[in-house]
Amino acid sequence: MFTPKERLHNTLTGKAADRPPVICPGGMMNAAVVGVMNKTGNTLPDAHYTAEAMSNLAYDVHENTGFENFGIPFCMTVEAEALGSSIDFGSLKCEPKIQEERFASVKDVTFMPDGSIEKTSRGEAVIQTVYTLSRKHPDIPAIGSLTGPISTAASIVDPMIFLKQLRREREKSHQVIDYVVNQLISYAKQLADNGAAVISIADPTATGEILGPKMFEEYAVLYLNKIADAVHEYGIPVIIHICGDVRMIKPQLHQLHGNVLSVDAMVDLKRLKDDLENKRTMGNISTYLLEFGNAEKVYQRTKNLLTKNIDVLAPACGLSTSTPLENITAFTTAVKEI
Amino acid sequence: MTKTKHELYALLSDAVVGMDEDTAAALSREAIGAGYDAYETIEQGLAKGMERAGKLFDESEYFVPELLMCADALNVGLDILRPHITTEERSEKHRIVIGVIEGDTHDIGKNLVKLMLSAAGFDVIDLGRDVPPSVFVERAIKEEAKIIMISSLMTTTMDGMEETVQLLHEKGVREKFKVAVGGGPVSSGFAEKIGADGYASNANQAVKLANELAQSK
Repeated sequence: MFTPKERLHNTLTGKAADRPPVICPGGMMNAAVVGVMNKTGNTLPDAHYTAEAMSNLAYDVHENTGFENFGIPFCMTVEAEALGSSIDFGSLKCEPKIQEERFASVKDVTFMPDGSIEKTSRGEAVIQTVYTLSRKHPDIPAIGSLTGPISTAASIVDPMIFLKQLRREREKSHQVIDYVVNQLISYAKQLADNGAAVISIADPTATGEILGPKMFEEYAVLYLNKIADAVHEYGIPVIIHICGDVRMIKPQLHQLHGNVLSVDAMVDLKRLKDDLENKRTMGNISTYLLEFGNAEKVYQRTKNLLTKNIDVLAPACGLSTSTPLENITAFTTAVKEI
Repeated sequence: MTKTKHELYALLSDAVVGMDEDTAAALSREAIGAGYDAYETIEQGLAKGMERAGKLFDESEYFVPELLMCADALNVGLDILRPHITTEERSEKHRIVIGVIEGDTHDIGKNLVKLMLSAAGFDVIDLGRDVPPSVFVERAIKEEAKIIMISSLMTTTMDGMEETVQLLHEKGVREKFKVAVGGGPVSSGFAEKIGADGYASNANQAVKLANELAQSK
């Protein structure tokens, strides 16, 4: 019998396991839905701020949804806040977002000393949560979620300007992203040292559809790999999630160094696996189905996904906070029945 | 040697497609200097170029950074040419109110749609992010808009889109507006389900949709 932690670790490192794990890694893809919070009373936005509230909610999510992990934090703003942007923390049902990016141009970015993310109170809260949960529940993998390098850079520099500057100000853009990456690596090390079983990176601004294959390769592949390589040195597996349609960037996906590649609902994972010569895949139950479908449909769809040789079962993208809890448990139950 | 106006329009269109702000500026000044009609220069030069850029975007030749740079070249030209448009030429523009119903970490998609609609000659009023259904409705009435465009992002609830449509019904003004929806999790099936008039999958499709909705009764 495998513990959830052994099962996930083995699956991500190519060793045998009894069945695929079913997880929700946190960050952009977190399962802190209204149904869980109303049931337990541990709510957002409070759980964005302190380790105690964050640990409680992360535990509630694990306990009530059936996902076989702790997924922390519940937003994509910890990094950008630390690097200077102002944050709107949202509400119980609306996730935090960038209120205003700190810089108008990559040329204006002031570089903070390395290790700045973990020095902020929210960065500390995430690390403390990973520490607490991984000590208290050693069999459940605590996943530390990072906002990817391109998305973080586009959260500290006005994204409409930043995207143009990827072409117009290449040298400076590289400098800024590299700075962001070094901050993320330092933060990931703290997460790893404090008990994170896996590091997950979601980079929703770095899609094939937004950047195109050339820039995806020049920026996203380069910097995602820099983080993945560093995390591997800490002995920890890496999940990389790429949003949107990936047909145009298949050769680039092949170059990613993550242990598993997580993708959106429109991607046929069986085909992707064939095209990528058996790269490990993760996904991809439609979050639209999870929100608007019923438990029976979710269950059937999950059974169908399980025929596709997917290594790790997970939602395809960020979950809507109004996703019914019974739909999520239909998903996790269908996997666990194997 | 002076270029004919058609030569100049073609070059201006190329400058937009080529993301070349300096050339777009120089050609726009040249058009004024040669006495060519500013409105026609915009329509047949700059706007044509942006239309071509949108097509390249649709065909996955251009991506978001390229489209944004084309828009910069377009805007440089517009700044030069617009002051020379005579009032009679200002054709009536259809007005669109646009916004994100509930926010995400950014609103790149909505901003891109806004930019493409403006380039295509629509008068776009941006309500920003986290826009409640009541504000969409109030502003659409106040601004006498023809189209309401609502975007939603991945991780938040999409209920607000349906509420907006219902609110238009409640106020008895549903038929005054066309409602279009878009964004990561939205589909044409969803648009139909909530009683919207249309769905667009990307910024260029949004322009096509807006043109269709503006023409329809």
